Amino acid sequence: MNNPLNRNRRPGWLAGIFLTVALAAPAALQAEPVVKDGDLPMPLIERFENFGSKDGIPTHKVHAVYKTRDGHLWIGTWDGLCVREADGKFKRYGPEDGLSHKMVLCLTEDPTTGDLWVATMRGLNKFSGGKFTQYTQTNSGLPNNVVYGCDVLDDMVVVATAAGAGILNLKTGQWRIFDHTNSLMHEPWCYAVKGAKDLIYWGVWGAGVLEYDFKKNTWKEYRDPDRDFHYDLVPDDGLINDITSWLSWEDGILWQNTYFGMTRYDGRRFKTWVQDKSPLLSNFTQFVWPHRRVAWIGMDKGVSVTDGEVWVNYEVGTDGEGIRTLHQPGAQPEKTVMNTALANRFVLGIYVDDEEAWFATSDGLSRGVYATPNPYKKLPGIAAAR
Amino acid sequence: MKSRGFIITSLASVVAAGGLGVGGYYWSVAHVQRWTGMDHLGFVNCNHCHLVRVEKLPWAKERPRHPAPAGLAVSPDGRRLYIALDDVNEVAEADTATLQVNRRIKLAGGPYGLLAHPQDGRLFVTLRHADAVVELEPERLTEVARIAVGKGPVCLAYARTEAGERLIVANSLSDDASLLSLSPLAEIARPHTGREPFATAMSSDGSVAFVVGRIAETKDFVTPAASELTLIRAATGRVLKRVPLESAHLAEGLATVASRGWALTPLVKVRNLIPITQVANGWVMSSGLGITLADGQTVQVPLDEANDYFADPSGIAVDPAGRYAYVVSGGSDAVSVVDLERLSDWLSKACELTRREAVDDLSLSAEYVVARLRTGRNPRTITLSPDGRRLFVAERLADRVLVVDTATREPVGHVALGDGGVWDPIRRGESVFTKAAHTFQSQFSCRSCHPDGHVDGLAYDFDGDGIGDNLLDNRSLHGVAGTAPFKWIGSNPSVEVQCGPRFARVLMRTDPIPPDDLKDLATYLQSLPPTGWERRRDLALTPTQERGRQLFFATTRPDGTPIPRDRQCQTCHRPPLFTARIPTAVGTRGPRDATDFFDTPHLLGIGYSAPYLHDGRAKTLEELWTTYQTNDLHGVSSYWSKHQLNDLIEYLKTL
Repeated sequence: MNNPLNRNRRPGWLAGIFLTVALAAPAALQAEPVVKDGDLPMPLIERFENFGSKDGIPTHKVHAVYKTRDGHLWIGTWDGLCVREADGKFKRYGPEDGLSHKMVLCLTEDPTTGDLWVATMRGLNKFSGGKFTQYTQTNSGLPNNVVYGCDVLDDMVVVATAAGAGILNLKTGQWRIFDHTNSLMHEPWCYAVKGAKDLIYWGVWGAGVLEYDFKKNTWKEYRDPDRDFHYDLVPDDGLINDITSWLSWEDGILWQNTYFGMTRYDGRRFKTWVQDKSPLLSNFTQFVWPHRRVAWIGMDKGVSVTDGEVWVNYEVGTDGEGIRTLHQPGAQPEKTVMNTALANRFVLGIYVDDEEAWFATSDGLSRGVYATPNPYKKLPGIAAAR
Repeated sequence: MKSRGFIITSLASVVAAGGLGVGGYYWSVAHVQRWTGMDHLGFVNCNHCHLVRVEKLPWAKERPRHPAPAGLAVSPDGRRLYIALDDVNEVAEADTATLQVNRRIKLAGGPYGLLAHPQDGRLFVTLRHADAVVELEPERLTEVARIAVGKGPVCLAYARTEAGERLIVANSLSDDASLLSLSPLAEIARPHTGREPFATAMSSDGSVAFVVGRIAETKDFVTPAASELTLIRAATGRVLKRVPLESAHLAEGLATVASRGWALTPLVKVRNLIPITQVANGWVMSSGLGITLADGQTVQVPLDEANDYFADPSGIAVDPAGRYAYVVSGGSDAVSVVDLERLSDWLSKACELTRREAVDDLSLSAEYVVARLRTGRNPRTITLSPDGRRLFVAERLADRVLVVDTATREPVGHVALGDGGVWDPIRRGESVFTKAAHTFQSQFSCRSCHPDGHVDGLAYDFDGDGIGDNLLDNRSLHGVAGTAPFKWIGSNPSVEVQCGPRFARVLMRTDPIPPDDLKDLATYLQSLPPTGWERRRDLALTPTQERGRQLFFATTRPDGTPIPRDRQCQTCHRPPLFTARIPTAVGTRGPRDATDFFDTPHLLGIGYSAPYLHDGRAKTLEELWTTYQTNDLHGVSSYWSKHQLNDLIEYLKTL
């Protein structure tokens, strides 16, 4: 309750008054947007459902959220791994169940076996068929126990750790590890990793993004050309900053988060955004989840959603209300006040699919309910692969 | 003068010879101490470090081959029986009416597991040493397709799923299973399974593939063993559930019962953490049947009787009606017939506590074991004709297949494949190795702890030195030739002593193995090559492995600082066997150990024999130099980077 970022916990009577006013005086509120979901490249969220300790989540801080292909929703928290059960309650798994550490940082799924890979502050875990298998720096070839990111690409599990990058070959059991001694890393602090067909991208603290072609065993480095730490002197000339806080890739597009703005790279051109010159809510971007070429960006002030042209921002108002702002080229921003908001504006993880959006925040978990159910049915041509 | 001269000359010669002898002795001691850096060593025979040649060892020499039946399959019309003969690289086809072998085809790579397509009769064969599955056209038995799978495929099962036809293959050496589509023959997924998966089965509706590991999972060395039954979605390869078979290992068979939704797994109920004194009370090892119910619950029931055990259960077959299950006991040369109706009745009446304790109640088997059929030596696999009227039992060490009429439970005859090889001492030794009759009440055989001569991954408490003291990790018998002495403290000078009268008193609690049998047993054990030797020996090292090799043989640190000889890997683990056969102290003494000095194990096949150290405390090779390294006593590793440790591990896996 003392968390200054918590704006969504207000007394019930306040919510009642708010709702009454909203119903009684619709003219006083801004009208619903005239733009329909189908005209936008992304779905609009019409309300948020929030989850916390009352739902079995063991702690307020949720670091990661992931929905596996069997429909189960998993969250990684400061105090264990949780899965949402049929009754809507969350069941917790901790070190006593075989998890290597209670603080879970990243989640991903092996698409063929359904194994859930769990990155923690002390090792990597495979949760398969109800059983944990631990990979630590002492019992395996894992480069370091602090595993910030993980992904599965074909027969490989790739990791980003505090002391380098790693690739576990699932067929041979062999680990390959990379750091400043055998790759283009300037230092081994890797924050994020994503597989991209024949390539693997690592987000490296102070070294931008490294691209590894694992078939050719070659490296390519993407850096901020101006090398300036605080300013993007020349927009769109490359990465916005070398301090990569997260990255992701989908359908040929690489997205980079930094604490100084955001970058999109489609293989030919870079596009950079900062909050002063674009609708981006904040320069402090710390997570991105691309879905159908739209980036869902988590940051310290909420969520921005963009395909690079159209933007939708979700903020938490001073009274805990949700604020949705739609930015379209050549049009005035359309602001909508929502009765519900993100559980907290500090967003640490996101999962989005065609049906819903989930947000891991520093004070609970949120589900974004789309205004139009399954809006992507109208967009069959866009790749679904993530 | 002549005699005086002779005496002087003789004395001088004796003195000179004595001087040479004494001098040679001191020189050799100094030589050993200098080259090992171990000042405590006295005289050590030259052959600890010199004159050892792998090609001279028994396991490196060509040995007699035998047509020992492995996997069995029956054609859909029931007229042809297929038999995999892995030792001679052949597949045989026999007529089920005449019991004569029609033809034998050559198929290199150790054909082991067999499956006949239930509709068109296409034959699928796992090649255990070639890591592949081949499809044979049934009329001419010619190869029409081949696909690479994991290492050491030994068993396969078929199902028709909503997504098409599927095969599930158990890859025993890579601890995974290959899920294959048939049209085309392609690998869809390769999920990890339990350790050393050895049997597979499919649910009747084709939804679930079952794979069971025959070796218990590597856990904390004082945690009870548990083999894993892995449930996999047959259509996609998604892992559904991992069921631990508590206190069980050597699970080598699997069958499903369509009418009841059960998966049945013969298993050895092992109580390795109980002192071996309990052999006399029947508390160390017994045979059981694991029943995984439709709800995922597993119940274990005994197959043994109070004073008569049926050791090493492996193959299992269930008749089409789901009424009877047939379980072979390789150590006791028997087939146990289990009435599943009666077993189901018992289950329906048993409370949860009764179910949990059932496997320890050896009187219980009388409730559902309705017959015991005698077989020839070492039955391992079993199958039924499609109509369930004929039972085929592979008598592996008799080189024949027993055929039984299931209605009368009487033998119909044999399909003869060879002469049983009784002329071959290695074969005779294997027969001793697999025979439970050498232990008290036939409770277990050598193979019960050393499946195919390898490890079971467990630590045991031998009580001769006190209960709870000196827990000992089970060591592989693969590649033991030339690595004497034996035991973890290195006190047994030969295999014959290791397996001799003292061993009989301590472990088997019965009369010693007769001398001739013991000699054959030793011959057999020394014929066992290191695990996976054939597949590794001609492979060139990768750059990673080469870096690891250089680290293994390093004599200095990167800065030029010499590594003391007694802490160089190659000193104690001297090639070509990677042991100097000298007990050494590497800082691994535990609180209940009586000594600092432990036998130096050879490293051939080390990648397959986890866990490690004398008590099995290290679950992985990495842990030897991370969790359990003490002051650089087990090699100087403090200067290694993580890269170097990983390189070394990859090199060790090549040995």
